[in-house]
Amino acid sequence: MTTLPRLKPEDKCFPNLDGSGDWGIKGYQKRGGYKGLKELLKTPQMQHIEKLKASSLRGRGGAGFPTGMKWSFMPQPKLDEKGKLIPLAKPSYLVCNADEGEPGTCKDRDILRYDPHTLVEGMIVGCYTLNAKVGYIYVRGEYYDESSHLQQAINEAYEAGFLGKNILGTGVDVDIHVHLGAGAYICGEETALLESLEGKKGQPRLKPPFPAGFGLYGCPTTINNVETIAQVPPILKNPTEWFTRWGRPGNSGTKIFSISGSVNKPGNVEAPMSIPLRELIDEYCGGVIGGWDNLQAIIPGGSSTPMLNPEQASRVLMDFDALKAEGTGLGTAAIVVMDKSVDVLRVMTRIAGFYHHESCGQCTPCREGVGWVHRLMERLSQGDGTIDELDQLFALTKKIEGRTICAFADGAMWPTQGTLKHFRHLFEERIKAKQSAA
Amino acid sequence: MTNKRPPVTKTAKADTSKQAPTAPVPAASTPTQAPAPLPAAPEGFFNVFVDGELLHVKKGSTVMQACTQAQKEIPHFCYHERLSIAGNCRMCLVEIEGMPKPIASCHWPIAEGMKIKTDSPLTINARKGTMELLLINHPLDCPICDQGGECTLQDLSVGYGSDRSAFHEFKRAVDDKDIGSKIKTVMTRCIHCTRCIRFATEIAGVEEMGATFRGENMQVGTYVEQAIQSELSGNMIDLCPVGALTSKPYAYTARPWELVRTNSVDILDAVGTPITVDNRHGQVLRTQPQENNAINEEWMTDAARFSYDALNTNRLTAPMIRRGKELQTCSWPEAFSVTKTALENPTAAILGSMASAEDALSFKMFMDTVLTGSAYDCRPAGSHLDQFYTFNTPLVEFENVDAVLLVGCNPRLEAPLLNVRLRRAALKRRVQIGAIGADMDLTYPYQNLGNEPELLESFTRSKFADVLKNAQKPAIIVSASVMTRGDGAAILAQIEKIAKKVGVIKENWNGLNVLAATSGRITALDMQAKAGTPKSDTAAILKSFNNGKTQTLIVYGEDTILPEDIEGQGTLIYIGTHMTATAEKADVILPAAAWSEKSGLYANAEGRVQLAHAAVQPPLNAKEDWKIFRALSEDMGKTLPFNTLSQLRSLIAAKHPAYKAENWNKVTPRETRVAAADVEISARPFQPVVTDYYLRLEYLRQSPTMQKCQSEVAAATLGTTGTPPTPLAPTKAKTSKKAA
Ligand SMILES: Cc1cc2nc3c(=O)[nH]c(=O)nc-3n(C[C@H](O)[C@H](O)[C@H](O)COP(=O)(O)O)c2cc1C
Ligand code: SF4
Ligand code: SF4
Ligand code: FES
Repeated sequence: MTTLPRLKPEDKCFPNLDGSGDWGIKGYQKRGGYKGLKELLKTPQMQHIEKLKASSLRGRGGAGFPTGMKWSFMPQPKLDEKGKLIPLAKPSYLVCNADEGEPGTCKDRDILRYDPHTLVEGMIVGCYTLNAKVGYIYVRGEYYDESSHLQQAINEAYEAGFLGKNILGTGVDVDIHVHLGAGAYICGEETALLESLEGKKGQPRLKPPFPAGFGLYGCPTTINNVETIAQVPPILKNPTEWFTRWGRPGNSGTKIFSISGSVNKPGNVEAPMSIPLRELIDEYCGGVIGGWDNLQAIIPGGSSTPMLNPEQASRVLMDFDALKAEGTGLGTAAIVVMDKSVDVLRVMTRIAGFYHHESCGQCTPCREGVGWVHRLMERLSQGDGTIDELDQLFALTKKIEGRTICAFADGAMWPTQGTLKHFRHLFEERIKAKQSAA
Repeated sequence: MTNKRPPVTKTAKADTSKQAPTAPVPAASTPTQAPAPLPAAPEGFFNVFVDGELLHVKKGSTVMQACTQAQKEIPHFCYHERLSIAGNCRMCLVEIEGMPKPIASCHWPIAEGMKIKTDSPLTINARKGTMELLLINHPLDCPICDQGGECTLQDLSVGYGSDRSAFHEFKRAVDDKDIGSKIKTVMTRCIHCTRCIRFATEIAGVEEMGATFRGENMQVGTYVEQAIQSELSGNMIDLCPVGALTSKPYAYTARPWELVRTNSVDILDAVGTPITVDNRHGQVLRTQPQENNAINEEWMTDAARFSYDALNTNRLTAPMIRRGKELQTCSWPEAFSVTKTALENPTAAILGSMASAEDALSFKMFMDTVLTGSAYDCRPAGSHLDQFYTFNTPLVEFENVDAVLLVGCNPRLEAPLLNVRLRRAALKRRVQIGAIGADMDLTYPYQNLGNEPELLESFTRSKFADVLKNAQKPAIIVSASVMTRGDGAAILAQIEKIAKKVGVIKENWNGLNVLAATSGRITALDMQAKAGTPKSDTAAILKSFNNGKTQTLIVYGEDTILPEDIEGQGTLIYIGTHMTATAEKADVILPAAAWSEKSGLYANAEGRVQLAHAAVQPPLNAKEDWKIFRALSEDMGKTLPFNTLSQLRSLIAAKHPAYKAENWNKVTPRETRVAAADVEISARPFQPVVTDYYLRLEYLRQSPTMQKCQSEVAAATLGTTGTPPTPLAPTKAKTSKKAA
């Protein structure tokens, strides 16, 4: 098997992801940071958006929506007949989603603590491109230390003149505020995040209207993941091919994968998109504990994505489209590897419990259903129940999935559906064992 | 979620061409015909198919509205047309052709060529799924639930529920909350539709309801367990689609199918809310609002909703006369003979605030015919309102009014449903509202211009005068209570002068309004139930009775006079419904009918005359008021010229055109002449108009529920900021100087 070459530091968007270098502004500038920022702030915004579209950067927060397209939904000031800029009716905002709550995911954390300036620079360029004078970074409350790195980075950027009024004499004003969440997974959902940021209870909003039209405080708003925003400056500074040479069309670039579970060397790695999953595990993580044959299942993109069985895992490429074709998703690219010593049903029950705990409770199917699913999983994974109830459980997930205000419920149902798909026999064995024991 | 846009297609043409091959129009095309491209919908409309039927639906409508237009009812819980859209119950899901999942029709915007399927298997299954999930944690305690028989969950579960449950886990139980004497909570029944929360926040303007905790543990209630401080809270009972919020006074009293319903009108303020009165076996068990966009929308005040227990409390059920120290029941002839004797002496009479036109006119005719020349008045002491005592601005017109000045007026407590409209104006349309008067909490921002009456003298030079001048439809609302200050006539004259100067009165627009305390006050003035000479007003009547010039005083339902103000040694005749403190001082009591026991016409603030039907009979020996006057007049040899209600009604119609049957329910403007003032404006600052909302009328003071509600009003709430509410006194001693 031919393996892809490892990324060299200059190929990476996050050269200090392992924390080996200086995370402060000096280290960042030594690695090339803030170089060319002034030019970026002088380039017409639409040019940036076109370039982002060409790069086919897709959102790193889970849904993989093309970032260039998302940014093009934001209002851009028009020129009047005399060629003068007509100011926008309302302010625009860029909000960075650093709520990183998806179980298995820990990539944003390493960006925040080991390379926070990548995000700060991304926010500066992003705010400029979207005509936002103010950007917010919503950091999950548990990332207290990480947020203090981020705040220090912001302070350094202000001192160096990269933030504030008239940045580097370009006339661009950007202010960034950090806001700490209070520990609710649902506040990672972009509209719940906006509610929370506005000081309300973190509950997703109905869409439409979408944030690009009616977002924070009712103003046009774009919400992006930490990694997405931080990848913008290197993409804009380099030729398009610098990014698109990695990965398959529509899935280009480099990506941070968070690998945990039964591997010899877990951690975050930045690797090319579309890398085979097996190569990622074998080459970057020292392989599955006990060897590839000891593999039982892999969650490919955070707890919301259905599991892969070893056969799928051995051939799948790690990108949005390939995983979708396997009935799962790239999600946050948080890979959880489970070897044969793992009680998968227990893991999946625990995950169902996570969603039970984290539902915001706003809409009926999710509020009432997620707890029911968890309880059924708890029971059935112990063999308490009947074979019929397995079908009932599957039917129940279908009454919840796709019927709710936000995608939380979908993400809560997929793992259970995946378990029933790949491990129904385990449930059945346990149920039968209990029944014959009785 | 990503930023995907809703599938709104740009032009009708592009879309039909795209859709035509895959989805032929079922109704319009036969299978052999090639589907013809859809003609464009009229300007401002979209072509929308509901179950195959082509409709033109206004752009900006929701899918549910399109379905309603097609007369397809979409089951729903959380959606309510007068509240913001929450989209959380997920009962209204429908399938849209070409969309991967069913959408919530209550908020999804329509688009050109959209094909909605309200009875497809996917739609029906989505509803069934939602219903199943709604019911798993529901207690299913319909047999002991007051909502039973009029419960949306019950109704819809007939269509979409299953007769058995697949749920074998423990059900959730939620603690009930004590939120006061008006609303009973059984929160285990709550389906978290947030209608109550949205009503409290959006309409009532009290952010006291909310959801705490999340997921399965989400609980709806007041954040801090306390009585909800709103004079509109009862509407949450109507809004709650299940039995989570029910009426506390009504609890366990009846099933809806046992009740007999009568149409009536709320006469406890001047808005004239149309209501229904439900009785069983002659006892009124509840009152509910009817819907009328021009008057109350669909809301009702708490005073009107919860005070019906006054109808069964402390009532006068038989005539009484004083024998020695004691009031004793007697027969009507006995009472009449004592009355007759007393009326031979110089007599004067005062009429109260709850009179119907029938009451007022028969009273007036009795005074004019039988006691010719006697003084009588229907206004509270001090008030000289004569020609102008109503609104010139119809209530609906407040949706267009673009500047408001309040003078001595607290609309939140005097007319809560008018305040709903003012709140909407202030918040939705940013209408500027200024107030001269005591500080208050109106639930929306307003400019407090001060409470010195002198402000009126220099008003035209003030900044707020410019606000009124610059407005298209400015309005001034003066509380009729201002008239009882003694200088009311001068104030009103000055306000009229201002109104003309700042464009509140101009060509094609008159925005000057007087807000009366009750419809009865307006109705009595319409009937001109006053002697009309300067020396015959309420204050003069009291004075002359107290100094013995008048030897007999008839107090007819009056409730603004303090009993201690009646000091005269003459004969006191009380005609009314309750054993009030004044009644206890009386020498003769003639028991009359309460509002629910007589058919009566009442004019509201905008001059709209409405008929309140009699729901039940007067208790025991009490009689309808007009019959008392008619019988007494006959007894005294000067029979009034009517034998029946309809004969009396034609006399009423002759007195005032608004009371002709063909003019009922219409806004009929009154003459608006403001009398010249013979007094000067005093420097005394304006006082809070209402300090005890729940007890502002004698009738309300008789209601045990209202007494409880008032005791729950904490200091510094209910718009009396800075003025602690009047401490609760026992019913009998409870009196208060109130306004007309
Ligand atoms: C329940 C739920 C939780 C989410 N949590 C996160 C999160 O923690 N971090 C994140 O970046 N995106 C999260 N998302 C995705 C966001 O809603 C949003 O799609 C994303 O921030 C957009 O950024 P992107 O376009 O850069 O991916 C979550 C979505 C859902 C439905
Ligand atoms: S799906 Fe769940 S998390 Fe999302 S809005 Fe509904 S209840 Fe809240
Ligand atoms: S109490 Fe009633 S109105 Fe309020 S959320 Fe619950 S079900 Fe809805
Ligand atoms: S009515 Fe549409 S979601 Fe409740």
